[in-house]
Amino acid sequence: MQEMTIAQRTRISVHRWLPQAGIIVLILFAIFFPRQVDKQNTWNLFFLICLHISLGQSWNILAGFAGQTSLGHAAFFGIGALAARILWFSGMPFALAFITGGLAAVAFAMLIGAPTFRLRGAYFAIGTLGVAEVLRITVSQNIPLISTMSGTLIATYDLPARYYLALGLAITTTGAAYVLLRSPWSLGILAVREDEGAAQATGVHVLRHKLLALSLSSFFAGLAGGVFAFQQISYYPSAPFSPLWTFDALLITFIGGLGTLAGPVIGAIFFIFVREQLALNLVAIHQVIFGILFILIVLIFPGGLVEAWERLRKIPYRKEK
Amino acid sequence: MTKFLDVHGVNASYGDIQALWDVSLKVNEGEIVALIGPNGAGKTTLMRVMTGLHQPLSGTVKLGNADLHTLPAYQIVEKGVILVPEGRRLFGGLTVLENLELGAYARRARDLRFRTLKRVFEIFPLLSERQNQRANTLSGGQQQMLAIGRALMGLPKLLMLDEPSLGLAPMIVENIFEVVKLMNNQGVTIFLVEQNARRALELANRAYILEQGRIVGKGTGKELLHNNEVRQAYLGFAPTPR
Amino acid sequence: MSIESFAQTLVFGLFVGGIYGIAAMGLALVFGVLKMLNIAHGELLMLGGYATFWAFSTFGMDPFVSLGIGIPVLFLIGLLLDRAVYHRIVRLVGEEKIKNSLLVSFGLTLVIQNLAIWLFTADERTVQVSYAGVGWNLLGVTLPYTRLVSLLIAIIVTLALNYLLHHTYPGKAILATAEDFEAAELAGINIHRVYMMTFALGASLASIAGTLVTVIYGISPSIGIIWTLKALIVIVLAGTGSILGAFPAGILLGVVEAVSGAFIGSTYREVVGLVIFLLVLILRPQGLFGRN
Repeated sequence: MQEMTIAQRTRISVHRWLPQAGIIVLILFAIFFPRQVDKQNTWNLFFLICLHISLGQSWNILAGFAGQTSLGHAAFFGIGALAARILWFSGMPFALAFITGGLAAVAFAMLIGAPTFRLRGAYFAIGTLGVAEVLRITVSQNIPLISTMSGTLIATYDLPARYYLALGLAITTTGAAYVLLRSPWSLGILAVREDEGAAQATGVHVLRHKLLALSLSSFFAGLAGGVFAFQQISYYPSAPFSPLWTFDALLITFIGGLGTLAGPVIGAIFFIFVREQLALNLVAIHQVIFGILFILIVLIFPGGLVEAWERLRKIPYRKEK
Repeated sequence: MTKFLDVHGVNASYGDIQALWDVSLKVNEGEIVALIGPNGAGKTTLMRVMTGLHQPLSGTVKLGNADLHTLPAYQIVEKGVILVPEGRRLFGGLTVLENLELGAYARRARDLRFRTLKRVFEIFPLLSERQNQRANTLSGGQQQMLAIGRALMGLPKLLMLDEPSLGLAPMIVENIFEVVKLMNNQGVTIFLVEQNARRALELANRAYILEQGRIVGKGTGKELLHNNEVRQAYLGFAPTPR
Repeated sequence: MSIESFAQTLVFGLFVGGIYGIAAMGLALVFGVLKMLNIAHGELLMLGGYATFWAFSTFGMDPFVSLGIGIPVLFLIGLLLDRAVYHRIVRLVGEEKIKNSLLVSFGLTLVIQNLAIWLFTADERTVQVSYAGVGWNLLGVTLPYTRLVSLLIAIIVTLALNYLLHHTYPGKAILATAEDFEAAELAGINIHRVYMMTFALGASLASIAGTLVTVIYGISPSIGIIWTLKALIVIVLAGTGSILGAFPAGILLGVVEAVSGAFIGSTYREVVGLVIFLLVLILRPQGLFGRN
């Protein structure tokens, strides 16, 4: 065995504890900072960041890890929101309604998963876009009226509670993505992403791996929808089905770094900060700017901020390619 | 004979794998020059470099005094250097006639296309009969005729053929080689890549041997036909004791 | 349902189908030649619609005459988009190329839609021509002039495109590039020029569809994605690489939607097309778009 120099050993041990420490600091900050400041705006900003981390990370599980570029992510978010809201308003405890919303999204995903996974690449993308649009149109035509919280709910509305739910979900989603990458399933999932045919040939059960990624992805997207339903005072029931939610998920993941754990987290923080700044000053134009930014990232810097950072540090922290 | 086509010091790669190493060869005006070598030697890559489909790492390709390696593929066609690609690459969904018309797309050929078309139909009467049929409904031999006919429509000064006999019946191969000889008699310079080495060497004035991306031998067709190593490697002769 | 009202339903489906055909033809052309899926096609259609609305509300120009403005404007926008964006993707190969084109055009959808909201507001606009609501009565079936002219334009455009593709050299260069871009290069075709022209032509076709949509339905910045999906459905119905086949497939979709709308309620009219689309995609995976 080769001896390591002391310098190498310290570097490696530094690398070992630095990320963990960073994560703990980040979580502690997310828990205590808004409470310290205790302003409506801060709670809102942090809430939006956490909601979008879950949204982006859940898309990343399917698209970044398993390589299935879905353009129908809004469908899962929408179903989660719809189911949670209806059940909650009809008297079910929110916690139960919230989980049921996530499971409803999974149920729907399993229903469409097997057939749409017969499509590859672009066909899968437009197929999922089609599915999401069918749902959006159906919902907007059958439940056209705005959904508003009752007076009692508004009177007892507690924003910090919404925020901590969103934070918990963001941590859980990212944690789940981490566990997935460390699990025996990860090799198969990454193989499916890299080359489906080769994965099949080496004995990977392709469909099973895709469905695993899809069920996790849809579950957390559905829960994120539930958080949305819990937080919003009033909205059109079709709003969470809007393709804009899919776009936000794509944008966040691409800004941060597709297929990386930290990508959606960094992407969501960046996205929400910039969006809120732009929204203050430029109103509707922020979508234009994000659209252009997204195009530039895809064309010029497909690795996102994570890759930019790693290239900057010149650390051979290789991404599985 | 004047120097016509000059390939000098060409290096080319696909990704990390270098396919051509310092390849140089010359084709004089009016000649038939053959390039032989085993599968994967880089013959098709060389053709792709010469026609502008593949960018070389270094080296030059000249036609007379004009540089070809700096030009995009369509401008090389405009200079009269035309390739019949391996596998024919016809426009399968288009008719025979449309394929031929597209062969005369280049400016210098377009104005003369009706005259050229008549000549091509004289050489390949069958194409005239089937001119309104889709190209992908033709048999393999007919498709090769159409591929050559399409190239002739571009009025080639240098006609390059990549494996024209691949997968064809011997009768049709003879027919194709006859046409190549005929074109050469009419003043077209020919550069031929062939796996059928014997037939190619019999036809060619001169030939080059490409192995593992390097030119490893050259000579007149006759010389190479009687060269021991060539006979063993490419013509299927057992080693002859001296 | 009486024979007359059924016939009326069929005829309206036919009219709508003509627009579907034109909307899809531009997308099919770009897909067939550049091998890219331009999700922003509906946004180009929407811009064409606004050209018509602008010409009508500013100069009182007849919407069908305004095609003379919309077509060249969208042609130019198409050239610009190709140079600025799509040109960079066309060099990629296979799956990578199509995935990137999807992502980039998805982003572009957002850009164009929000630019339109900014420029034209989110309100729905309509063009009320003097002959709107007037029509020709044929055996108890009403044929409104606006729809009749729209269908006529759709037919003329289809025939013109057929002529261009099969009877002119630039058109044949487009078809050759669609078939095999390297063989096209070897025939002396400048394929990057072909790509650029094809994209601009696709944008012009979108613009024509946008004008027809504006005359018949009105226009708002959010209609883009709906029309992209309609066009995708039609392409799937039309089958592999078929450009002109988009016209009959569009008619088919229009009629099926109209008839199913009449029988199971207009709420589900939109869904019918999408369900057909998904079924065809799933039952014939890869078969309809790809060649392999």
